[in-house]
Amino acid sequence: MMLVLRVLKTQPLHGYAIAQRIHLVSADELRVEEGSLYPALQKLLVKGWVTAAWRASESGRQVREYRITPSGRRQLEAEMAEYRRMARAIGLLLDEA
Amino acid sequence: MAIIGEWIRRLGYLLQRGAREDELRREMEAHRAQMGEPPAFGNTLRLREEARDAWGWRWLDDLVADTRFAWRTLRHSPGFTLTAIVTLALGIGVNIGMFSFVNGLLLRPLYSDEVVMLDTDSTTLSGDEARDFSYPNYRDIQEGTTDIFTGLAAYSIDFVGLDAGAGARSALAAAVTGNYFQVLSAPLTYGRSFTAEEDRPGAGIRVVIISYPLWEQFGAGADTLGRLVRINGEQFTVVGVAREGFLGTGIPGPEIWLPLGVYEIFSRDDEARTFGSRESHALSVIGRLRRGISEDRAEAALATVGRRLEQAFPAVNAGYAIDLSSSTGPRLFFMPGVGQGPLTGLALLLMLMPLTVLLVACLNLADLLLARGYVRRQELAVRSSLGGGRSRLVRQLLTEGFLVALVGGAIGLWVSTWATKTLMASLRPLLPAAVSLPDVSVDWRVLLGTMAFGLVATLIFGTGPALALTGRAAAADLKRQTGDEGRRPGGVRIGNVLVIGQIALSLLLLAAGGLFMMSAIRSAAADPGFRLDGGLIVEIDPGLAGYDEARGRQAHLALLDRLRTVPGVEAITIASGFPLTGFGDERDVAPAGIPDARSKSVNAVFTAIGRDYARVLGLPMLGGRDFTNAELLPGSPERIAIIDDELAQRLWPGEDALGRLIQLVDEDESAPAPPVRVVGIIPAVKQSPGNPRPSPHVYVPLGQHYESAMAVQLRVAESDRAMVANIARVVRELDERLPIVSVATWRDHIDAGLESLTARAGAGVFAAFGAIALLLAVLGVYGVKSYVVSRRTREFGIRIAIGAHPRALLWHVLREGGRITAIGIGIGLVLALGAGQFLQGILYGVNSIEPVVLLTAPLILLGASFLASYIPALRATKVDPTVALRSE
Repeated sequence: MMLVLRVLKTQPLHGYAIAQRIHLVSADELRVEEGSLYPALQKLLVKGWVTAAWRASESGRQVREYRITPSGRRQLEAEMAEYRRMARAIGLLLDEA
Repeated sequence: MAIIGEWIRRLGYLLQRGAREDELRREMEAHRAQMGEPPAFGNTLRLREEARDAWGWRWLDDLVADTRFAWRTLRHSPGFTLTAIVTLALGIGVNIGMFSFVNGLLLRPLYSDEVVMLDTDSTTLSGDEARDFSYPNYRDIQEGTTDIFTGLAAYSIDFVGLDAGAGARSALAAAVTGNYFQVLSAPLTYGRSFTAEEDRPGAGIRVVIISYPLWEQFGAGADTLGRLVRINGEQFTVVGVAREGFLGTGIPGPEIWLPLGVYEIFSRDDEARTFGSRESHALSVIGRLRRGISEDRAEAALATVGRRLEQAFPAVNAGYAIDLSSSTGPRLFFMPGVGQGPLTGLALLLMLMPLTVLLVACLNLADLLLARGYVRRQELAVRSSLGGGRSRLVRQLLTEGFLVALVGGAIGLWVSTWATKTLMASLRPLLPAAVSLPDVSVDWRVLLGTMAFGLVATLIFGTGPALALTGRAAAADLKRQTGDEGRRPGGVRIGNVLVIGQIALSLLLLAAGGLFMMSAIRSAAADPGFRLDGGLIVEIDPGLAGYDEARGRQAHLALLDRLRTVPGVEAITIASGFPLTGFGDERDVAPAGIPDARSKSVNAVFTAIGRDYARVLGLPMLGGRDFTNAELLPGSPERIAIIDDELAQRLWPGEDALGRLIQLVDEDESAPAPPVRVVGIIPAVKQSPGNPRPSPHVYVPLGQHYESAMAVQLRVAESDRAMVANIARVVRELDERLPIVSVATWRDHIDAGLESLTARAGAGVFAAFGAIALLLAVLGVYGVKSYVVSRRTREFGIRIAIGAHPRALLWHVLREGGRITAIGIGIGLVLALGAGQFLQGILYGVNSIEPVVLLTAPLILLGASFLASYIPALRATKVDPTVALRSE
């Protein structure tokens, strides 16, 4: 969910684009399966962290575009801070031990 | 805040499900299209379902699915469903019935929380009665607490003689201040409340407010206002009609309300003569607290006023203290000596009986579900092996249970209205007059109670079997063959235990009912010590017509003279009490002139009588003489009495009491009691049907003691209905203002007494509950036996095939049923003995061990359970071996 929020932070995207974007930005390391993407998106909608609207894509296709909300941004910041803390702790542990 | 937002969004998803799902589908299709070929996108339906779970409505979907499935399953086995529903409806029904009864009479508050009752104490007052306020004190408290109470009302309750045109009768009345209805938030339906002028003590303005039921008796017309009624012999004008269902401050509610200004007409107490003075403590006080005033603050303010009243009037108000009464007001005040504590106990006892029935019903259902569950073991095993989690399966089974409980509860609600009506009808004759009874219809408390009963019942009867059926062994059942299950001892054993429990509890209820019935029969058949047949009683109360002592005495004697001339009357007398009714005035009697009389005294029933008392009762004079006509009038110099041989024996064992002097020890020992000469001795009679021994009696002539309420006793040639009607007519013709309390034969009079009624009502209620429990137990036995037989079809088939005689099979099945019943009866007998021990103290004439009851009740159960297992047993013998073996 943090990853989805992160890619939406910069621009609104539709479902397929979110998966593509995560794949791309992570240098092909991360792949989000549809089986986890859509439940995550539904959860974000219910939580009120993103909103969705139908729109015509560049290719003329009707797509559902997700846009992050202010409370979604706050949630992202909180989650990122928490993640950085954990990552730093793990990094320290790996370096020192 | 965020949570609320989330819930609102979730609700949105629930309400627009179709649209949302469609959206999800289109979105996923778009996704798939963009991915190009070949689509690596998985099963869209499954993915959609998983995504949907995020909305958080999975449980609801499951519930709907469970309910639908349960509905289908239940419809497929109508026999089981019907039995289960009937069982629950009965079990829940009797409980709701009893609960609404208890709720209406004992639990439901009569007025809102802001209404408080005042309590007072001072060294000049005796006892802890709430009726302790004098009118001036009430007014001073009212003035001193205007910032605490929006209103402070005073009232007093008493019986009056009410004559609305059809002859005078006794009625419950309250004398109240004008703001009484306002304080209790009970605006009048018609008319007006009392004015300040009518309130003023001594005002004597004769106006009355009548109860709604009385207004209906008057024909429910608008012209009732202004109508004249006679109360205690005085003409009163109806100025108002109280709200429907209004009970005032207690149960039963008054029929009429009078202003305090007519207190002297309303009450015949000692207080009535001095009403209005500060010494006359005759009133109860209730008040409505102002908004935001705490009880602590109210008590502080009351304490201040109390101290001021003590300083201002030290003589009357010594040690004056006022506070809020802790009780919620007097309820059921017509029951003598019953406070709030015993009422809770009574409510508990009343609830215990139907709860036992519910327990039997639950055991029965557990039985049914278990038996059915074993039939369904294969189904459950299949579902479990297909991935149905245990909690999911238990939930499914419980849903079925709740569905049954819901329907059963709904029908139970209907059953309960019938039960409540019966209970109320049994209460009616206990009441002293036609008074307002509270509404015992269904309210939110009853509905809540119903739901609680249903819920508890489902949990009790559903959880056990559900857990037992989904245990680890369940999976193994898939491998089992259908015919094997009957041989599983576990299931049958649990079923047997449940049936044993049902039989034991039914026996308990039946035995208790039997004891009540025995008591009722014995008290009716008990030898009263005098001839009961051919007696009539005419209860009159001239005081209710406003007659003072002189006029009352005249009325008594005039009635005696008039009735003596009625054809068919063989002997006539008058008495202030009557044997066998349980109630009686009492005095401590001791030999005169001895020191420390109190400790040597004998408690005796005290009755003022006319001439021929012994003759009317059919008793011989054992010695001495009857009273003379002169002694029936006041003013006789020497005090005399007739006593019975019981009292004589206790005072002077083995000696002749005739001519000796006795004294009636009074409450206050300051004045020495005057000596009373014993002029006659008659045989003892029984005063109470609940007491097997005759009680000692002391009789004084009419002239020495005046009581307004008297009973004329007649011995007649034929005590039939026509004679009763004739006598009643003669009494009315003699003095139409004279309130007749009742005219009845002695037998009817005694039967209407409180003690006989309790025994009979108890017998009826217990017998009814026992019958219901019996029915349920029989259903249980039948259910378990049927199940066992159907499971063992194959075994029976083989037995028959290899030559077993059908009768041997029949016997085999019956013997098994008999064993369970015998164990159940054994346990039930122990319980019944315990109940007997308890009831022995309450009921007249029964021992804890009553052979008749202890034999009859088990026999009934034995017979019923024999029948219940006979039908399945018969089915066992009809098994066709070829069919049974083919069913593999």
